[in-house]
Amino acid sequence: MARLLYEWDYSQYPGAKSYPHLFKPIQIGNLSVPNRIKYAATEDNFNTHDGFITDADVAYMRERAKGVVGGLCFMQGVYMDPGRQGQGYVGQAACWDDQFIPGLKRIADAIHAERAVAGFQLMDCGRVGAVEVDYCHGPSAVPQRLRIFKPVQEMSKADIQDVVQQHVAAARRGVAAGFDMMEISGIVGYLISNFISSYTNRRTDEYGGDIRGRMRMVVEIIQGVKQACGPDIPVGIRLCSEELLDDVRGNTPEESMQTYQIAEEAGADYISCTLGWQESIYPVISRDIPMGNWIHLAKRAKQHVKIPIQMAYRLFKPGLPNETIGAGELDIWEMCRSMIADPLMPKKVLEGRENEIRHCVACNLCLARLFRDAPMTCYINPVCAHESNPEFTDPPPAQDKKRIMIVGAGPAGLECAYMAARRGHEVHVYDQRSGIGGTLNEARNAPYGDDELWTCIEYQQAMCAKTGVQFHLGTAVTEQLLQDELPDTVVLATGPVYPQLTAKGGDHKKVVYLLDVMNGKTPVGGNVVVYGNRKPGIGCALHLAKQGKKVTLVGREKSAGFDVNPSFKWRYLIYMRQAGINAYNGCDIEEVTDEGVIVRSYDGYRWPVACDTVIVSEREANASLKQAALSEGIELFVIGDALVPRNLSSAVHDGYRIGMRI
Amino acid sequence: MPVDAEKEITRLWRALHGAQDEIGKTYYRWRQVALELAGPGAKPLEVGLRAAEVFGKEIGKGFLPRLNWLKGEDAFLMNLGRSLADIWGTEGGIAVAEKGAHPGEVLIRCTRDPWPSWAKEYGVPMEEVALCRERMFQAVLEDVSVFFRIPLKIELVKAIPRGQGETVLRLYKTA
Repeated sequence: MARLLYEWDYSQYPGAKSYPHLFKPIQIGNLSVPNRIKYAATEDNFNTHDGFITDADVAYMRERAKGVVGGLCFMQGVYMDPGRQGQGYVGQAACWDDQFIPGLKRIADAIHAERAVAGFQLMDCGRVGAVEVDYCHGPSAVPQRLRIFKPVQEMSKADIQDVVQQHVAAARRGVAAGFDMMEISGIVGYLISNFISSYTNRRTDEYGGDIRGRMRMVVEIIQGVKQACGPDIPVGIRLCSEELLDDVRGNTPEESMQTYQIAEEAGADYISCTLGWQESIYPVISRDIPMGNWIHLAKRAKQHVKIPIQMAYRLFKPGLPNETIGAGELDIWEMCRSMIADPLMPKKVLEGRENEIRHCVACNLCLARLFRDAPMTCYINPVCAHESNPEFTDPPPAQDKKRIMIVGAGPAGLECAYMAARRGHEVHVYDQRSGIGGTLNEARNAPYGDDELWTCIEYQQAMCAKTGVQFHLGTAVTEQLLQDELPDTVVLATGPVYPQLTAKGGDHKKVVYLLDVMNGKTPVGGNVVVYGNRKPGIGCALHLAKQGKKVTLVGREKSAGFDVNPSFKWRYLIYMRQAGINAYNGCDIEEVTDEGVIVRSYDGYRWPVACDTVIVSEREANASLKQAALSEGIELFVIGDALVPRNLSSAVHDGYRIGMRI
Repeated sequence: MPVDAEKEITRLWRALHGAQDEIGKTYYRWRQVALELAGPGAKPLEVGLRAAEVFGKEIGKGFLPRLNWLKGEDAFLMNLGRSLADIWGTEGGIAVAEKGAHPGEVLIRCTRDPWPSWAKEYGVPMEEVALCRERMFQAVLEDVSVFFRIPLKIELVKAIPRGQGETVLRLYKTA
């Protein structure tokens, strides 16, 4: 009889009726798990640089444990070698000695406190490791494709045996710390995937050659870890179902499926199905990839093995995994980024509070920060990385209840509104538009997944409704209204202004403004110059290029997409190239003429660009009403793009923090 | 004010060629530094060849993200040949890659090369210029060969002193 750690009865919850397949039990090895939900191991860079667990990481994990409502909750992968060649992240947890067990136990205890199954992951980062030392290790010394990674030293057979034993010893420590499941990480370019791939394993000894040879070390690790863990602790492995490395002659999909079968033969109790490497040239998880795009790979994996298959990868909403599990094509719904954005996401699904989910917008800021040795944060979730700070997680009620006027129902204003209302203030949101959302109404029209940004507004709308925020839409706030209402506090969240082009001819009839173009109010010719090479300009340029227009981008920033995080910016640059968008970076418009514009580079070169429309996407802070509020002696806050034009993330973070402070 | 195209292009042209001239001068200034630091026993050709190795290795790393195997061996070799020719182009030379007479062979032809002129200014023998170019390209191929699992070689077929005529290198896959 399978072991059950905690009893959970979901029968009374609405989510269990809407998504019955997500909330039914499953047996993994000798363990019975009450549902099909898993928070998958995710690095966060919260721990000390020598691998000890911090309060921040414990609090972060406890929130995610609460979210899985009895399901699987895995802590980040630990590195296992004292030489630190396997360490891929500066704040990665370590497990190469017993001294780490007490810290790890705090995480297992935190997960158990929420009555969830605590998972432990073993992760040697291989050719993407050695973040603190000069050389990383791998099966063969294949040069690095990406300069950020360290040179690779080929492992001897003794080194390989050391790594196998390090996995076994770390697994024992994980069990001693109280974890219930064990997982071996073999994905995205980490050591195990290096051994498996024909791209990185060029060995001619028994650890190389055909796929069985390349899997030999993996088999030894699985068997060793199984033995160390005993029959009660299921052991799983994360493996690539497709490496997406055909440009460098990596494994074929057929070989990848063989690795699944070999892992099952070796005793793995489940497989977490992944795809892509950090070195792949194909996008896998960015917003331009449709949700559910990779689910067929789970289905294929199910056809090759009998053990449970788990998968994440752009499964942000519960409907798709529920259907797929129901169809027998997947067993466990994994989440990483969607539970970074909202740790309680599955709990809200269970409780029928889907409209209160703060959805991940697949911007990959979390990854961009990890790769730059910074603690993880979330673009859309201001609480991420602050879970140990009660001021963030549960801001105290306001001692002095105020009547607050928030001007602007965009993401900054709405975020501030519900947070202030939650703390007990009386909050009124005004907007001259007839609906909420501010400039996201226009931004969502940009292509390649930007419609997903609107989920932020849906979440904020639900939270405003829940906290009793009062709306005054279609009402422009004037100085007179301000004087009439005389609120205790004014929050200006009016969004940016789009200033008139200062270039000669800036008032030419061909000059139009971003919002009017993005909402379709202003017609645009077939040959367009977009002025401004930040995200709004890029979104507009791609939007128009998709309509078949010839687009040129002119902007003062040194590179287009300066304000987009690097883990997503590369996608925009590729789309711009594919669409034939010519970008003149480090440039300004000197003059608008009947024929087009004259562009001037930062170092003074000038050239004409023919166009029939010039679209201004450059923004400035919005100072309107500021003086009026101050002259009335009203407490004033300016947030979001009205303060400094930035992005959705800044709007949300500004709004949350000011909402906490008022 | 209307754009005076001739004036703008002339300024750009001068700036580009000025920058290209600095490439050669900077190299030979550093060569002089290296020889002085190495002392009287140093052999200039050895120093030059070592520099070519370091440069080539570094340039080769930059090739890895740009090359791929998606279109097979012939396309790969031609892309690699073009990338090598482009190095010369950036320096102010005129170089092209073309299919060789044999399968798996690409010829890189340079019909205008600024390096011999720069070298003459600093009193460097022409032989060193040609051998350093060959050595640099060989060093570029080291990581490329390992990374893409294809044994590659490149050799100087023809070198004309002072950059007149044509310099030809043969890039090929070894058995």
